[in-house]
Amino acid sequence: MQTNHHKERLYKILVIGDLGVGKTSIIKRYVHHNFSPNYRATIGVDFALKVLNWDQETVRLQLWDIAGQERFGNMTRVYYREAMGAFIVFDVTRPASFEAVTKWKEDLDSKLTLTNGKHVATVLLANKCDQGRDVLTNNGIKMEQFCQENGFVGWYETSAKENINIDEAANCLVKHIIASEKDMLQSEVSDTITPQLEKDKGGTCSSCFRSQ
Amino acid sequence: MSHSTLYLRFMPIGGAAAGRRKNLEFEPLSTTALILEDRPANLPAKSEEETQRHKMEYEEMVAGAKRRELKDAQKKKRQMKERHRQEDSISHAMVVWNKEILPNWDAMKGTRRVRELWWQGLPPSVRGRVWSLAIGNELNITPELYEIFLSRAKEKWRSYSETSSVNDSESDGGASLADRESSLDLIKLDISRTFPSLFIFQKGGPYHDLLHSVLGAYTCYRPDIGYVQGMSFIAAVLILNLEEAEAFITFANLLNKPCQMAFFRVDHELMLKYFAAFEVFFEENLPRLFSHFQINNLTPDLYLIDWIFTLYSKSLPLDVACRVWDVFCRDGEESLFRTGLGILRLYEDVLLQMDFIHIAQFLTRLPEDLQSHTLFTAMANTHIISRNRRWNQVFSVLMKDGIKETDKNTSPATRS
Repeated sequence: MQTNHHKERLYKILVIGDLGVGKTSIIKRYVHHNFSPNYRATIGVDFALKVLNWDQETVRLQLWDIAGQERFGNMTRVYYREAMGAFIVFDVTRPASFEAVTKWKEDLDSKLTLTNGKHVATVLLANKCDQGRDVLTNNGIKMEQFCQENGFVGWYETSAKENINIDEAANCLVKHIIASEKDMLQSEVSDTITPQLEKDKGGTCSSCFRSQ
Repeated sequence: MSHSTLYLRFMPIGGAAAGRRKNLEFEPLSTTALILEDRPANLPAKSEEETQRHKMEYEEMVAGAKRRELKDAQKKKRQMKERHRQEDSISHAMVVWNKEILPNWDAMKGTRRVRELWWQGLPPSVRGRVWSLAIGNELNITPELYEIFLSRAKEKWRSYSETSSVNDSESDGGASLADRESSLDLIKLDISRTFPSLFIFQKGGPYHDLLHSVLGAYTCYRPDIGYVQGMSFIAAVLILNLEEAEAFITFANLLNKPCQMAFFRVDHELMLKYFAAFEVFFEENLPRLFSHFQINNLTPDLYLIDWIFTLYSKSLPLDVACRVWDVFCRDGEESLFRTGLGILRLYEDVLLQMDFIHIAQFLTRLPEDLQSHTLFTAMANTHIISRNRRWNQVFSVLMKDGIKETDKNTSPATRS
């Protein structure tokens, strides 16, 4: 990946989660600004590129939209390589897809670590929030607790259909990716690694955890 | 009134005027659509010179319009002729398939003449029949057997929906992986995302239940495999061309082919062999593009997974995909990789200008205007021969030396 000195940054971002939770829709909304209820199922992996202006720099996000069926695990996990961030998506109308979130997160963390040994920044997306609120996501405090326990840097209720919180979630992820990149460079420079446990554990970036 | 000569008004040429004269196909339309009216009385009279000039201008305009329309009519005639020629050749082919080839299938299927006719594309009315004959029924599945598996599937769905309505999450979590994956939910989710633009497989569409039945019956027939994404596209294409039970029989036999078995079992090691064999012929056929892909770290799995799992039915326009299936039924698995190379050859110049992400995007979403004749020309120029070895030879060599390699657990992303 690129260093701070470059005027252009390129990040590989994974979009994972159970089948049919709306990964492709979220990407289409984010990159192409549209929505269709008629997307075809993703087989293997699909790609998209989002270009952002970020503090006078160009940030290119390479989005890897990975098929959700568990069966493809062995095959698609090689695609985690070199990713700098991830969205894990679930469907608020399907509780089972939320239960799978911890499985996806564990899987991600076990397959992928940054050069400084830390996990990649991951944002949790509670998608299809336009179709009625889930009991679980209704409880913001509980969700924040869930995020902290499972190492998510933030969570958002999103709707690709109604364009709710997609940009906000992406900005949150990019911010954390840039922060973790700085962190990696610092730990490379000095031998003495200052304990960052506090900062890491807290993870509470006020812009990510929206006030309830 | 001698001065009230020509006052021209143009009628719209299309629309009603043209519609009324449909039968006068090759007669220029605009001259007949010109209405000559007297010059309005409130305007001063024209000079003789002006009248003369207007008359000439008018005649020029009429002549120009005539020329244009004659040209259009000729073009239309040519197009009609081409269409008639195609229709004739399809109906001719249909007669040949129905009267000559199908009644003598075993004797004729391998002949040069039939193979050539086959390459031209099967007439839609015999397509399903030829596919099912070519794929065969090694598994000896009968329509009765299909009914048995279908009723089992229906029973399972009934009990599934009963338990899940009581406690959705727990019943789901408690079930084994295969059970969960063969569940109604998973198939249901995918069916609505199978050829969504056709609006026939979605809920309420005419083939929704049919697709559901075929997929459900398969998960009962092969619980060890269950439902795997990509199957819905294959079953849908078969349903479009065959009766229900026949579609199931062909579906099960098609998935039983070695290449399809490797993919739908998600046998990663074996899939890597297929990708490696593909790369041998890729390098042979398109060396420049091959090295461009290597430099960009673009491995074949990134696009082949989608293409092979759906037999191109998701990525190619449906009519083109059907022709690819025709050739697949004729030539077997190697034709799938030949098709892939044909696509790469067709777009070689564009792809050579692209970087990783753009190539990956392009190949997972091919242009919608892709034409079958251009693809088939590219495929005809693609030869599955490498240093005198054919597909099977290359593949079996890879299978033999593979044992050591696979120990290293090479992943497609790290392989270069």
